[in-house]
Amino acid sequence: MAKPKNVPASTLSTGDLASRTLILDNGAHTIKAGYSSHLDNHAPNHQDCTIIPNCIARSTRDKRTYIGPELTTCLDYGELAYRRPVEKGYVVNWEGEKAIWERSFSSEEGGLGCEPAETNLILTEQPNAPVTLQRWTDEMVFEEFGFGAYYRTIGASLNAWAPSPFPSTADSVSGLPVECLLVVDAGYSHTTITPLYHGRPLHSAIRRLDVGGKVLTNRLKDCISRTFDVHREDHIVSEIKEDVCYVSPSPSAFAADLERTWKGGRYDARELDTTVVVDYVLPDYEHIKRGYHRPHDAKIKGGRVLRVDEETGRREHVVTVGNERFTVPELLFTPSDIGMSQPGLCGVILQSIHSLPEGLRQVFLANIIVVGGSGLLPGFVERLDAELRGAVDEDLVVRVARAEDPLKNSWLGGARMAQDEGNLRQRLVTRAEWMEHGEGWVRRRFAGKIGR
Amino acid sequence: MATGPLRFRTPHIEELPTAQSRQSAGFAWVPVSGAQDDPAKNWGTTNRKRQRQSTGGQTDQQKEAVSARQQREVERRIKDLNSDNSKETVEIPKKPGQQPSGGAFKIGKTSGTKKIMSSGKSLQHHLEDEQAEIDRTGRREGEVDAPAPNAQRASKTPLHRRKPREDSSASNSPAPAVSSMPPPAIPREVVQLDDSDGDEESQLPGLPSAAEMEALLNAPPLTYAQARASSPPPGLPPPRRFCETCGYWGRARCLKCGAMTCSVVCKDEHDQSKCLKMYA
Repeated sequence: MAKPKNVPASTLSTGDLASRTLILDNGAHTIKAGYSSHLDNHAPNHQDCTIIPNCIARSTRDKRTYIGPELTTCLDYGELAYRRPVEKGYVVNWEGEKAIWERSFSSEEGGLGCEPAETNLILTEQPNAPVTLQRWTDEMVFEEFGFGAYYRTIGASLNAWAPSPFPSTADSVSGLPVECLLVVDAGYSHTTITPLYHGRPLHSAIRRLDVGGKVLTNRLKDCISRTFDVHREDHIVSEIKEDVCYVSPSPSAFAADLERTWKGGRYDARELDTTVVVDYVLPDYEHIKRGYHRPHDAKIKGGRVLRVDEETGRREHVVTVGNERFTVPELLFTPSDIGMSQPGLCGVILQSIHSLPEGLRQVFLANIIVVGGSGLLPGFVERLDAELRGAVDEDLVVRVARAEDPLKNSWLGGARMAQDEGNLRQRLVTRAEWMEHGEGWVRRRFAGKIGR
Repeated sequence: MATGPLRFRTPHIEELPTAQSRQSAGFAWVPVSGAQDDPAKNWGTTNRKRQRQSTGGQTDQQKEAVSARQQREVERRIKDLNSDNSKETVEIPKKPGQQPSGGAFKIGKTSGTKKIMSSGKSLQHHLEDEQAEIDRTGRREGEVDAPAPNAQRASKTPLHRRKPREDSSASNSPAPAVSSMPPPAIPREVVQLDDSDGDEESQLPGLPSAAEMEALLNAPPLTYAQARASSPPPGLPPPRRFCETCGYWGRARCLKCGAMTCSVVCKDEHDQSKCLKMYA
């Protein structure tokens, strides 16, 4: 891609919208990217969205560095060193992020084939961003990449345009936002609660819980490292978490599960319950490409072993995962287990709702949607539902639902919003406007303070 | 036992002449002050738990020190959990077949972007910068309507100890419900409600009027620290502790390092490899 030193001028005349819109849901763990066009009638669906790991990884085993989408071509995920340009949801390291974006936009294998000057961009960020970082983002998008028009928004607010997971709400017409929605974004860096009214966030009620997928993965690493050191195996432990972890349906079930996975005291040896305790076979990327789990084999003592598999006759590393299966996700609901001074997810939701005026509380309690990677944990929604019902007054209706695809839901909402030309014209800021009015104006536009 | 509270001491005894004066020992047990008040008799134990109790209880200062140490330990562990596993910095490789204007490609096209891309600041720096800016000028950048900078000194109370201000509906301060979790039916006089619309037979409180919704929507966004959920009310049960070796409930605390274990087996394991006495 030969680029001249100056940013190429867009071939569109002012007042014209580019034909395609690229929606980039920029997360700390992955980028969800895909196109949507307001010119055709194709309703966007989950297939249009590609998930790109938002990291630069270096493998010590084959001495290669993988940027962004190249990570799927990696053959050996062992001991991968990561570098994440996005910290806590905000892009801090633009050098790295630029490399990832460029690799994603290129037309090579795995890329999107995007030509920035011919595309509109919808970019997401996390709420409560430091103003400097917002300014940097705007400048990078316009100056460095050369997008013609762009709109930066809080990621959660795009969910208002996605199809509603509640069975009783009528399917919203594409292009119109749901009226009231409380978005629980259980993401990688943290979990954020955002109430939305007609797709616009109510800023004074946004609350954040500093436990996210990263904390869960690191905690699982610590727990497994009691028997087998996995501190550097980020990818593999992430897979273990996704495969075997689940959320206990209630605190009493948690206690019961903990009993079942206890090996007992010295005089009180107990049988481990093999329905809960599993053995996880670690991948070695020669024969076993992907780890898998199976019920615990009582012959394996001590938590880890290197043994010969009976069927295939090959050696495999096996790690026993017992109470980590449910104590690790419990951190989302009881962060005080590791000493954090924040309430659990239920408490944070209640804090957010209590900061709203009286009349809005019921509406938001009845429209809670869970998005984000950690929302995929089995039992998450049921536990949240049960805890909220127990905490609020009995005659209030509480409805909690998980989005159909928690990872892509924000993207889908953005895609559906971009289908409507009116929406686009109202929100996008073109490069000409940025040059003319300056960054402060642009920032206030994105915050919704200046109408068009 | 010489450390007992009673000692030999011969009081003044006058033997009254009575008909029957029995032979009695020439001493009597008399209570005297305990070892607590007699520092010369305290030989000092290495057992910290007994030490704490024998030397007249801990002073408040010592208790503070112990809890501060624990607090630091907890914070260190939480910071570890948030680490990104990026000890070795991963270099961005140069793309093969770099075009002639290679320098600009990598570093940035304009001076602004060059500065952005070469900045090495972490998120912590940005947050601190923003906090300093707010303290200095009293408002965030880009906020048109700002409180007068000298009106109220920036409060130094940590966020979790601030009391909610009754007049704050759309201002910058977070107003978490510090008064625990009462059922929402108890009305809070934060915003004047318009009862005329939305009042149904089930006695729901009315929805706020359009003007109030606009005010809510236009409220300035909170800063990063303000949006963090504050600590739960202090009346809750203490945090649960788990065994460090196996993860079951923690039932016994190691006297030397304070770690919890669940059973004798786990405690042995802890003593052999994980107890602090191995390092300290």
